[in-house]
Amino acid sequence: MRKAFAGHVAVHDLSLAIPRGSVFGLLGPNGAGKTTTLRMVMDVLRPDEGRIEILDRAADRAGRDRIGYMPEERGLYPRMIVEDQLMFFAEIKGVGRREAARRLDGWLERLALRDWRRHRLLELSKGMQQKVQFIATVLHDPDVLILDEPLSGLDPVAADLMRGVLVDLRRQGKTLVLSSHQMETVERLCDAIALIHRGHKVLDGSVADVKRRYGANTLVLSYEGDGAFLSALPGVERVADFGRYVEVRMADGADPQAILREAAGRLRVSRFEVVEPSLHDIFVQEVTARGEAPSAEEVA
Amino acid sequence: MKRLLRVARREYVERVRSKAFVIGTVLGPILLAGAMLGPGMLMAKQRGKPLRVAVLDHAGELGEPVTRALASRRADGQLRFDVAPLVPGADGASAALVERVRRGDLDGFVELKGDAPAAAAEYHGRNVSNIMDLQLIEQAVKEAVLDERLAGAGLPRDNVRALTKPPEFKTFQITAQGAREDRREAFFVSILMLTLLYTSLAMWGTAIMNGVLEEKTSRVVEVVVSSVSTRQLFGGKLLGVGAAGLTQFLTWAATMVLISAYGSALIGGGIPALDASVVAAFVLYFVLGYFLYGALFAGLGASLSSQQEAQSLTFLVMFPLILGFAMFPVVLTNPEGGLAIGLSLVPFFTPLLMFGRISAVTPPAWQIALSVVLMVASIALAVSAAARIYRVGILMYGKRPTFRELSKWLRQP
Repeated sequence: MRKAFAGHVAVHDLSLAIPRGSVFGLLGPNGAGKTTTLRMVMDVLRPDEGRIEILDRAADRAGRDRIGYMPEERGLYPRMIVEDQLMFFAEIKGVGRREAARRLDGWLERLALRDWRRHRLLELSKGMQQKVQFIATVLHDPDVLILDEPLSGLDPVAADLMRGVLVDLRRQGKTLVLSSHQMETVERLCDAIALIHRGHKVLDGSVADVKRRYGANTLVLSYEGDGAFLSALPGVERVADFGRYVEVRMADGADPQAILREAAGRLRVSRFEVVEPSLHDIFVQEVTARGEAPSAEEVA
Repeated sequence: MKRLLRVARREYVERVRSKAFVIGTVLGPILLAGAMLGPGMLMAKQRGKPLRVAVLDHAGELGEPVTRALASRRADGQLRFDVAPLVPGADGASAALVERVRRGDLDGFVELKGDAPAAAAEYHGRNVSNIMDLQLIEQAVKEAVLDERLAGAGLPRDNVRALTKPPEFKTFQITAQGAREDRREAFFVSILMLTLLYTSLAMWGTAIMNGVLEEKTSRVVEVVVSSVSTRQLFGGKLLGVGAAGLTQFLTWAATMVLISAYGSALIGGGIPALDASVVAAFVLYFVLGYFLYGALFAGLGASLSSQQEAQSLTFLVMFPLILGFAMFPVVLTNPEGGLAIGLSLVPFFTPLLMFGRISAVTPPAWQIALSVVLMVASIALAVSAAARIYRVGILMYGKRPTFRELSKWLRQP
């Protein structure tokens, strides 16, 4: 599908297939077009061109009722009582009051919000409001969950709780679509991913496949001494300095042992490891290879 | 439709539960009752107990008839004067009466000088600014003097009252449907109702605008719009807020009907009866006015992004409403004039001005029907335009659209 706004194209002929029952990560830097894509799926925006299918049927209201959508811009009624608010969101998804009320107890219990159900939303902390938002997303028992930046704004304890809930939902056979610009936070949860950049799909596939495709082409090195020469060694493509250690990306066919020998000869090496590249590295590598150097902000 | 109603129900329940609504709904009728009953009650209270008066007669002829006339004077069905035994004229009698007034035994006394043909009277009292009472005293003296003079001229006393009774004089206004008695109080009530109509339209119009803005600024709208269409959201909002407004408006109207039905009995007269047709027009034009202005306010709210912007741009929609309110004196001075008829058919002014005309005269049925048709048509236009602006505007944050953009949104299907 494709969507252009005044002056620029936000999503270029993007095609995504999300397998049922999987956890799918839609990853990319800020401004890549993730949120726009999700909004089109939810009919908040209309695509200029293209087709959307939900659960194997052309997208319509009934299909969208099977989706729980948590937008990046969280929003609830600030002055409304938590319980009434959640019931309302379930109702406008077509769920009956009794059914919604029955499920509500379980969710409030699970996310430790039971004592707050009769409070106005604005009396809750930001973290609690996030949890309320999540319940609003799942209360109608959707088959598909679309969560835009699901973990942002949560403290570590709440984030762990949320991760547990997501894993549970997946076990129940739900399809989860997680969108994030912080690739590392969702990488571990996902079965498959798509990386997008400036409205284009950079790559997609299962996480294992993607990593295998790029192979173990990265070295992690810790040492004492001046390692400036490393980037000039044969077979070294790029060196990223993280202070306590450096990541060395090797050219295809380079021999890690040869690099280790060189390094050991000139430095006191305390750690040497051949690792799979992170999604972040793969993203940078792909984008650079296309001759579109990512901006500093995008890499961050 | 089901979802539209669910949106409307949320809107209704949240508003009706709010403190502002409860205060407005309870306080409104109290203020109304005060405005309608207050003046009458104050006057009744001021009259209060009968005045204690004495009659001092220097000549000895008029004393008895004046005492009798005073003792039979009534105000609001009550005997107005408690008349002390007649005081015959003597040296120092006047000074003695002044002393009794000072002590508080009397409120005042009437001093009669001369006989019927050359009668003169004075009233001395603690309070000489109560015009109603002074008029009653003057009437009593005049009546007694006239009786005596005519009797002196040889007319039988029994005939005198009948012969001197002034004719009753009332004013009637001729309208298309018939005649109805013209009452000053009725004018006061129609201004009161007009003010209520204006206030309610402004209040509920602003309420819907703020509701739209709140959904925008709290970003809740994206969650809602992923579940219901913008059309359903817009329609539900308009209906829900309108239902809340109507609830409040009906309690106000009911208060007025109750007061006009029982108020007179409560305070002893002075409250005009309300025509059922005026009350019906009151409610009808509120509903029509609400949908016209409510749709415009909702559209305005959707194209803005903060309360501050709203404060400076509300006047765009308020202006026609204010203009209509400002023009009602023009309409009420000559409700059947061409200008009044023309203005009351302009949909923006209809709710106030047609109602104003209905409360003053009874306009021809075709004019009322035409005003309703024109309003319904403009409501249809306003709702469809506002719904288009709403669809795009509701998801625009931060930036205010230019007029060119607005007109583009309007042209989108």
